[in-house]
Amino acid sequence: MLIKKRGYFFILDAVLGLSVLVIGVFLITSSYVNVPQPAQVGLLSDDLLDFLSNNKIKDLNNPYAGIGGELWNQGIITDADNSLLQQIGEFYAANNFDTAEKFIQNVSKGIVPSQFRYEVWIDGTILHPQIPSAEHIKSRNSTELLLTSKKLTFGIINKTTSDLWGPYKAEVFVWER
Amino acid sequence: MGTIKISIKKRGIFFTFIAITIMTVFILVFTPQADISLKKDMQSVASRISSIDNYVDDLENNYFETILRATAYKTILSLIFYMNSTGSYIATLDSAFSEVMMTGKINGVPIDSITGKKIMNNNTLTDWSKRIIDAAEDTLNVNTTINVSGVSVFQTKPWNIDSSMSVNFTVKSNVAEWKKSAVITATISIEGLHDPYYLVNTNKAYTNQIKKSTVEFNQWNIAKLREHLRNGTYVHWENSDAPSFLMRFTNTISSSNCCGIESMVNPNKITPSDQRESYADYFFWQHKFANNCTQLYNITGLWDEFRYFKLDFDHVTRYNITAQDAVRSC
Repeated sequence: MLIKKRGYFFILDAVLGLSVLVIGVFLITSSYVNVPQPAQVGLLSDDLLDFLSNNKIKDLNNPYAGIGGELWNQGIITDADNSLLQQIGEFYAANNFDTAEKFIQNVSKGIVPSQFRYEVWIDGTILHPQIPSAEHIKSRNSTELLLTSKKLTFGIINKTTSDLWGPYKAEVFVWER
Repeated sequence: MGTIKISIKKRGIFFTFIAITIMTVFILVFTPQADISLKKDMQSVASRISSIDNYVDDLENNYFETILRATAYKTILSLIFYMNSTGSYIATLDSAFSEVMMTGKINGVPIDSITGKKIMNNNTLTDWSKRIIDAAEDTLNVNTTINVSGVSVFQTKPWNIDSSMSVNFTVKSNVAEWKKSAVITATISIEGLHDPYYLVNTNKAYTNQIKKSTVEFNQWNIAKLREHLRNGTYVHWENSDAPSFLMRFTNTISSSNCCGIESMVNPNKITPSDQRESYADYFFWQHKFANNCTQLYNITGLWDEFRYFKLDFDHVTRYNITAQDAVRSC
């Protein structure tokens, strides 16, 4: 009888042990699920900055910012070889902040998924959004993960006089809503 | 009974060992911290190295070229204004160019104070090197050292100036260090710049900006020459005796192999208008034909607008002037 009772005890022990293991494995694997998030946000901020710095005005098919577009026809954009980031820097150097904001909005449309928010700063000045909404600020302050990518940018503001602008620090902040 | 109890006790130890072994295996296999933190570290280091590598690449391939082009243009412009202010030629162009470009000074004196123009102020190579060093430290937390070991200016084409600089630079961060040497070259156009040869020879009275003539070498005639003279344009002839643009800074009036350019002196802009010279600019102030009027021709076909305009025989043939428009001076 004594032996039989101990058999139950061992089975119960094994079940308890197994449940501890299962719970342990579950906790461990569920902690893995959270791991990719920072990488994804980090990639997004890098991607946005790379997109801005690796694409030129002449590569853009955009009715507002591309060649033959609104800004081009108004003579506000004059150098098709400027990268998008250089163009933003040039707007900043010329104190043309409103155009810079609209330009960023136009060229980055569809680049950042809608569940993320982002900011673009040049030389310590926020250009997009120029005036952040209360919702935007709240989201930024309450996010668990906000990642930034930084790059230097510079260029020629006047080809005739060879006047340069920069080098400025360009920063992109990305976080989940 | 006694023997049975003993064997059960032994099995208990056996099960305990198995449980401990299984737990150890599970702990070893599923311990996430070490693996993830290693990956995290690797990712952040890789990301940092990639950012700094992009900066180093940008520095070498874009920034240096951009500042070289800008400062070379400003240096040439400053030297032209300097010659305009002093009314004298530059003794050694390369050393003057290098000093102005690096320090904004000429013979130890700030060139802007001589020219009265704010061109080199905060625009020397040293200023722009310091700016990128500060910006990189602020942005990427890296320590950049830039050492420009030599700067030179030369021409390989008639309408462009080439500038080159040898640079050694180091970028240090907490994860890696980059050490590089490079020779950077930049090209600027001379069009729009004032010809220093005119400025010095006329004591600022006659300025002529470089503007390339659009006439092809075999299309010249008296009408094209009239336009050429009227617009003060310049021509490059293969195998001519004309000096290059840079040679005009040092009054080195001899044949340039690659880059000789010439314009015509407008007799209406000089006093006296009637001089016994060929009015091709590099001959005019060299007085090459002052005592040799037999080789000079009055270009009478243009005298209605440019009275007393003369050319030597070589130029009469180059510009395809016919006998009815050219008459021997003596």
